[in-house]
Amino acid sequence: MISLSQVAYKNLLRKKTRSLLTVIGISLSTWVLVSLLGFNRGYQSSLNRDIDQLGFQVLLTAKGCPYEAATLMLKGGTGLRYMQESVMDSLRKEPEVEGVTPMLMQALFDPNKGESGGITAYLGVDPQTFPRMKSLLQFRQGGWFTDPDAKEAVMGYEAAELEQREVGDLLLIPEKNVELKVVGVLKRTGTQDDGTIFVPLRVVQKVFAKENQLTGVGIKVKKEASIDRLEQKLYDLPDVQVVSLAQVKQTIMSLVSSAKVLVFSIALVAILISVVGVVNTILMSVLERLQEIGILKSMGAMAWDIVKLIWLETLILCLAGGMLGTGLAIATAHLTDILIRQLLPYAPTGGLIHIDLGLIFLTLAVMIFIGLVSGIYPAWKAGRVRPLEAIRSEVE
Amino acid sequence: MWRIQHEARASKEQAMRIISLTICFILAAAVSLYAAVGCDLNDPDRDVARLFPGSTGYKTIYVSIDKKGGKELLQRIEQRLGDSFQGIFETIDVPYTLYQVYRKKDLIGYIHGVNQKGQYGGIQVFLALDLEGNIKAFYFQKLTSRHASKFRDHQFGEQFIGLNLKDFNSYDVRSGKITGPSRVENIKNPVPEAETDFRASLRATKKNLILVDEFLLGNKYLKHFRTGGER
Amino acid sequence: MKEKGRQMIRARNLKKIYPRGSEEVYAIDDVSLGVGEGEFISVIGPSGSGKTTLINILGCLENPSSGQLELDGKKIFDEGKFLSEAELTRIRREMFGYIFQKFYLIPTLTVLENVMLPYLFYKAPGAEERVRGVLKLLGIEHRRHHLPGQISGGEMQRVAIARALVNEPRILLADEPTGNLDSKRAQEIGRVLRELNDKKGLTIVLVTHNAELAAISQRTIELRDGRIHRETISALPGLPSG
Repeated sequence: MISLSQVAYKNLLRKKTRSLLTVIGISLSTWVLVSLLGFNRGYQSSLNRDIDQLGFQVLLTAKGCPYEAATLMLKGGTGLRYMQESVMDSLRKEPEVEGVTPMLMQALFDPNKGESGGITAYLGVDPQTFPRMKSLLQFRQGGWFTDPDAKEAVMGYEAAELEQREVGDLLLIPEKNVELKVVGVLKRTGTQDDGTIFVPLRVVQKVFAKENQLTGVGIKVKKEASIDRLEQKLYDLPDVQVVSLAQVKQTIMSLVSSAKVLVFSIALVAILISVVGVVNTILMSVLERLQEIGILKSMGAMAWDIVKLIWLETLILCLAGGMLGTGLAIATAHLTDILIRQLLPYAPTGGLIHIDLGLIFLTLAVMIFIGLVSGIYPAWKAGRVRPLEAIRSEVE
Repeated sequence: MWRIQHEARASKEQAMRIISLTICFILAAAVSLYAAVGCDLNDPDRDVARLFPGSTGYKTIYVSIDKKGGKELLQRIEQRLGDSFQGIFETIDVPYTLYQVYRKKDLIGYIHGVNQKGQYGGIQVFLALDLEGNIKAFYFQKLTSRHASKFRDHQFGEQFIGLNLKDFNSYDVRSGKITGPSRVENIKNPVPEAETDFRASLRATKKNLILVDEFLLGNKYLKHFRTGGER
Repeated sequence: MKEKGRQMIRARNLKKIYPRGSEEVYAIDDVSLGVGEGEFISVIGPSGSGKTTLINILGCLENPSSGQLELDGKKIFDEGKFLSEAELTRIRREMFGYIFQKFYLIPTLTVLENVMLPYLFYKAPGAEERVRGVLKLLGIEHRRHHLPGQISGGEMQRVAIARALVNEPRILLADEPTGNLDSKRAQEIGRVLRELNDKKGLTIVLVTHNAELAAISQRTIELRDGRIHRETISALPGLPSG
């Protein structure tokens, strides 16, 4: 005994090329939809992770663009402004503050680096407070320095790799002619920390003659406390700029959201196009089969049976296209991932394009919905066919 | 009144800070500070022409020891070098970049560079070789040293011209001594205090020549290692 | 020799009017006839005589504009009483089997599957057996796994007939069943219909312009311009007239 879906499927086989082209059309728009949604998710989660890696929620800096590496890139190591270390005392007093860590960023031009020399940056950190705040950092070799006056260094993975430095090797600060001993090499993080050389704060202050000065203070806020309230208080401090990383996250999120809107519009257009394609295909096949539908009715098919049949044909097309498109998206996601990884050494670990089961089911559900919607008109039209259509042969 | 103005200005400033910070953040994330693994020429078009005057083009190929011959190959290379591959960066899967240099349609030579640990930083030694494996040019693409200028001087590099792996077979990289008749004797260290970096350059050169022999010359010099070798 | 049985079809004063522009066209103009149980009648006439319209109405494929129609004693159409599509479908399913000039077989389904089609819409127990039976009856059982493209025209029409019979209808309506066949195959089909009528007692109404084919029926009604022009009894004796 055959079933209605078998008949529907075999009906689609009657015009193989047409069905195939329609399926391809649907699969392309599905591919777009899935890839875009997957990229969205992957990007969003890696962005979240990057921001969480930063460790502290609020960053206090002296005036000027506070983000260390960017400043150096843009201003070539000059133009940094400084804060007094005494700022930390007033900070510690705040009830919302759980911990503070001082930082001093300094940069030098190294004539031996790269083609015509380059900038090397050193970040002075406090061995007692910094490692705790950046607890997500893991070591490939060695560990943090403990003595605040030791001439030691911890290197990000990329920085170490460039200079082929491992634990026990020496590092030379050019111009100042100071030797540091490498005591730790970090694992790759996919953030700027990979290119940073961490040195005890007091050493940097002494070597660069910036005693008691800082370029930034990282603040960890107590869990229950209100970050906003703390920020309000901090705004009142002189010569100091508050960067709320929570707000940075929000800003970036809103940028991402507007990107999302664009993405969804594209996906929507893609879907509309495929709906039109499906409606066209099925409608054409219905109009070609009016007589046959009439015969089916004469055999006892009710209007609803015909509607079911046409709807099934539509659904089969949409599901086939949906699965093919999803498969395409998964295959090319891997390719794109590899490509991006080749181009950007900073690509974070974990896929940039994140297609999980949930997304697949969502897409298939969307395809089924599309199938039902596109099938409405042709199915209804088919259902309305009167058996007479069949009999209006060329003879009469 | 004044308070309201102050607050309005403060929030505008805040907005500007956020925006500029965000831009900085994005820029920072987008700028790649360091090059990828392996040892490529910084500007191959320019460097190949400079190291190989008369060339018209080049082809780049990538080889790594694990793909080419695995652990066995690594062992043989280490034996020929007289030293093992060390540390977290000198590993079996490092990709080596080899440049095949052409004049019109003819292959005229090779260029290859290796990473080597120096005293204070990484050293990148590039050799330009003819088809027999003789050194035609010696180039420090990277050298972190107090005395870098002396080493980068062309007088230092010229000492290497004409030498090949047969000469380096008698150079013991561990002790820095020469164990047999060899033109390596003629290579002098311009800065006695920089002995570590000098020895590093020689180790880099020997490693470079061995890899070229294994990857491109079909082990032309292997027999010299077997017969004249120290082991 | 058949006794005078029930009237399967009783039609009175059937009219069918089509508006064409500002005029009215009478496809059927006051036609009355009756078909007894087990009778085999044919309806002939030139093109435009209304024979297809007549068979449509008799077969409940169309509502008449006026007139009465009774099937097996049940009133179907009456003055002012018209049936909905759903009701017509039910009646069609129970009473009629249809075959047409074009075979209308689904090309991607096998013979067996094509014949089974009516059971898609009308679940009934014992379907498989009935299907096999009907295939055997029409002599096409050996073709049951073939596709329509792999069998001859005559066999295709027999598949169509099998499909029409699988529901065990009371009446078989055939509209130009041999129109697409050559004379040899046409004769074959004629024989099949004859056998169905003789052996199974199936009531058959046949529409055709092929006089030879019409001759195998017991009674021939000739239509002209929407009216009955003439009725002829065939050479076979002892059959009731309308």
